[in-house]
Formats: sequence, C-alpha cells, structure tokens
Amino acid sequence: MIEIHNLYKRYHGPHGGGWVLKDINLTIPDGISVGVVGRNGAGKSTLLRLIGGMDAPDRGKVIRKGRVSWPIGLAGGFKGSMTGRQNVKFVARVHGIKKSLTKLIQEVQDFAEIGEAFDDPVNTYSSGMRSRLAFGLSLAFDFDIYISDEATAVGDRAFKAKAREAFQKRIGRASLIMVSHGEASLRQMCEAGILINEGKAFWYDKIEDAIEAYHRQSGLITDVADEDDESEDEGVLLAEGASFEDAVKSLKKQMTKIQKQKIIAEYRQSIASEEDEIERIKAERHSLNRLHRAVKKKLQNLKAIEKNISA
Amino acid sequence: MATNTEQIPDSSRHPLRVTWDVWSAMYLREMIARTMADRMAWFWMIFEPIATVAVMIFIRVYIRGGRNISGAEFIPWMIVGLMGFYLFREAMIRPMGAVEANRGLFTYRQILPIDPVLIRCFVEGMIRSFILLLFIIVGSLLKIDLMPDHALGVMMDWLSLWMLGIGLGVLLSVASGLVSEVGRVVRILTMPLLLISGIIFPVTYVPAQYQQYLLWNPIVHGVESMRLSFFDSYHTIPGIDMTYLWFWALASLTLGLVMHVRFAPRLKAR
Repeated sequence: MIEIHNLYKRYHGPHGGGWVLKDINLTIPDGISVGVVGRNGAGKSTLLRLIGGMDAPDRGKVIRKGRVSWPIGLAGGFKGSMTGRQNVKFVARVHGIKKSLTKLIQEVQDFAEIGEAFDDPVNTYSSGMRSRLAFGLSLAFDFDIYISDEATAVGDRAFKAKAREAFQKRIGRASLIMVSHGEASLRQMCEAGILINEGKAFWYDKIEDAIEAYHRQSGLITDVADEDDESEDEGVLLAEGASFEDAVKSLKKQMTKIQKQKIIAEYRQSIASEEDEIERIKAERHSLNRLHRAVKKKLQNLKAIEKNISA
Repeated sequence: MATNTEQIPDSSRHPLRVTWDVWSAMYLREMIARTMADRMAWFWMIFEPIATVAVMIFIRVYIRGGRNISGAEFIPWMIVGLMGFYLFREAMIRPMGAVEANRGLFTYRQILPIDPVLIRCFVEGMIRSFILLLFIIVGSLLKIDLMPDHALGVMMDWLSLWMLGIGLGVLLSVASGLVSEVGRVVRILTMPLLLISGIIFPVTYVPAQYQQYLLWNPIVHGVESMRLSFFDSYHTIPGIDMTYLWFWALASLTLGLVMHVRFAPRLKAR
C-alpha cells in the first residue's frame, strides 16, 4: 500500500519553478494496478519518481508499505565498462541478495536472452539489448509494487509480448503503477487510474473512467497515441479511378495518423534518456514532419483542383 | 520465473544493513572499474603514482640543486612527502566527480550521493597505502632507507592525512555538485599547494619570520609529522601539531556530512 499525504513538488529551472504537483493526497491499495494518465509535462513521471523514492517531495510525504521497485526497464544504472553479469551482480548486492545470487543471475540471463553478450561490457550493447537486460533485471526481483514508465514499450515485438506476459503473471501477487500513453496497454494492465491535471491528481476506480476524463480534459475525442498501432502503414498512392471524395478522405486519414505518430514521437523523446536514442527519435520526428508537409500539400492541391472544377 | 526468487529482505533490512550492503556492492564495483576498465588498468593504477613520484624526484634532483635535508636522505625524504601529499590530494579530488559519475545509480533509492563519495575515498586510500608499502619494500631491496623508524607513528600520520583528504573531499563533493566551478578552482589550486606544503622544497628553507604562515596549512603538519616518524634524526620547523590537522579534518568532514544530509535531494535530482 502506498499513502501520499499533502505532497508538493516543484523544480527550480532557469525560469523559476511553479508547482509541478500541488497538495496530492492518494492512497493506492495493495494488489491493484494503477495507470497514470495526463498530458505531457503534467507531472506523471514526477509522481512516479516520488513514489519510487528517487526524488524527495518539497512538502508532504510518501509512505511505502511493502517493497517498491525502481522504474522497470531503466538502464541508467548500468556501468558501460562492466559486463552485463557484473552489473546484475551489483544491483543484486545493493538489494541485499547473497544466497540466491547465482540463481538470480541465471534468471536474468534466461529472460534477457542476449546470449554470449551477457559477459560483454554493457557499452557494446545495442539499446534493445540494454533494455532487455534492464527489464530482465527488474523482473528477477520479487517486489510488491512495480513502477513502470512506458516500460512495456522496450525491445522488439516478441520481447514486448514476453515482458507483458511476465507482468501479467505477477499481477495478483504484485501490483503495478504505470505511466503510459498507450491506452491499449493501460486497459490491458491496469484496473484503476489516476489522472494528473494542473498539479492535481484525481483517482478513478476504473481505468476506463480515467482515460475518458483525460480525453475530455484534453479535448481529444479520438483514441490517440497508442504505440501499438503505429506500425500499420497505408500506401500513400491512391488507386486509379478512385473517387475524389475518397481521395480527400484517405489523405485526411493519413494526416491524423501522422499527427498521432508525431505526438508519440514527441513523448518518447521527452522520456528518452540515452543520447543515441534521442538522436534516433529526433530523426524520426524530422521525417514525420516532412511526411506531414507532403500530405498537407497534396491535400491542398486536391482542394485547389476541387475549387477549379466547381468554379 | 517469479516463483522461485528469493524474497528481497527490503522491508526487514535494518537501515545500517542497507548501508552496509550498498557499500560492499559499491566497493566491489569501484574496484572492478579501477582494475578492469581496460586491459592495462590495473597496471596503470600501480604504475602511475610510482611514475609521478619518479618524475618529481628526477626534476628535483637534476634541474635544481639544494638537496641538503637535515637529518634525512634526500630521496626517501622526497618519496615520503610526495606519497603523503598524493594520498591527501587524491582523497580530496577523486570524490568530486563521484556524484556526477554515479548519477545513474540514484535510480535505486538505497543509494545516496554520499555513498559513492565515501567509497571513492576509501578505495583511493587503499590503493595509495598499497603503493606506499610497495615503495617501502622495493626501496629496502634497492638499499634506499625507507624503513620507518616509528612504524606506528607513520601509520597514525598516514591515517591523519587520509582523514584530512576525506574531510575536504566530502565537503567539496557537495560544493562541486551544487556549484560546478568549485571543482575547477580546487584542481587549479592543488599545484601551488604542492609547493607551499614543503613537499619539494624543505620548509626549513623558508625564513623564520614567515614559517608561522606556513603552519596555517594543515598539510604541512601532516607531512612533516610523517617525516619525523620516518626519520629519527630529522629536523623540521617548530610548531608541528597534529591536533591542528585533525581539527581541520573533523571540521570539514562534519560540515561535509551535514551538507550531504541537507542537499542530498538536490544532488540526486540534477
């Protein structure tokens, strides 16, 4: 169980700091998985950091009853010059594990499935391998409450599915507090929801209500920003002889799709920690912007033609 | 996979137990990083301080004369001074980067900014002590008189210089964490510190009326005291007082620890 009493938090930036979180009172009961929703910069990750004890509140307190994990899949604590095995050993020792150290290492190794690379220095890993190792490490410990910041989004598809399955096996014994923009995964993993808006937190017993409230608050009716359906791409070319309205319609559809992807990319950039990852996302956003402009131009052309015809 | 894992003894672990677990894990990590960072790391760890001392002695012997030290041979006198000074300097400088270098570890809430700082101080002292022993053994084999006349006194003085370094190191690790310019300034200041601490030139060369100002520097007290313990017949300036050094060491350590308690969230949050 996690109790949050009168919690205030602000950061001192170059332009002064307003309160990120203001007077938050929450009780998260045992065994209930909670999804945290809110727009970018609302303070979702901050709340998660405070719950995880990585950050101290300016006022108020967080009471943790039970063992709370570090954010799942966070690879920040790995030392590049040390091997995967050495890094795993370090984390295990910090958590006071001595007797079953070898067993734990074996579990991480099995879950991460990175083969021989387990004994190579971590700075030779690709970012996917890193997150596999980090995710395997988090799941090898038996926590009561796991906290996750977009965790299920790491790795390739097969690994994602495996991670999700491993998670779901734990639900019941352990609970999960997750921040995500992927609404499908929120619905799948969580029962209750917390909406963060303008420094306040609102508790919802059903995640569905939280998501709906979030939509109402942000003025978006469509189901945006689900990272799971970003891979389906429709051809940009139109079939020969398609009617004019169809063409406009499909272009508009593409526009909204690109818009969604842009939002996702922006969010991913805001939570990404590694430099090469940020670079990658930047490049992605750049190409998305280009695509966006191209489609927009096409749409304008079509509209111009439409006007000419009607004139 | 979850069913057969060991229960993390988190809720039942005593805070001291957590600290001990963190320290032992970080000690091993730091040692691995120091000795295995690349294939020659362990060699450089030992050879680098030896080479620095050798270069210093070389410069001092061949570039400037004046090697009359009353009551001690020149080369052992120089080695003792340099080793003592480097112990202090490394224990002070190394921790300054510790918080920044281990930022990623604050993901695990068990680890506080003070932990990497203390571990670095400890590791540095261990390495330096090992090298001092190496110097004494190899020196004896080469018939350089490096056997301390008062072994216990040397150990005490060595510990004192180490404590002085740790005290300032802990203090500066917070200060440079909050204001990054502090680190640069301190690094610049260590070079003149080598000159005014009587490491290369004996303090007895300084005119008598200025010697009292030299004694404001706590390093002089530590280094001269260690030389006195090493060489029975050594003469130095009057007024060497280890209480003064310990006053500095404990005062800076206390202030440093208090500042760590006060600013821990801010050091973590950067």
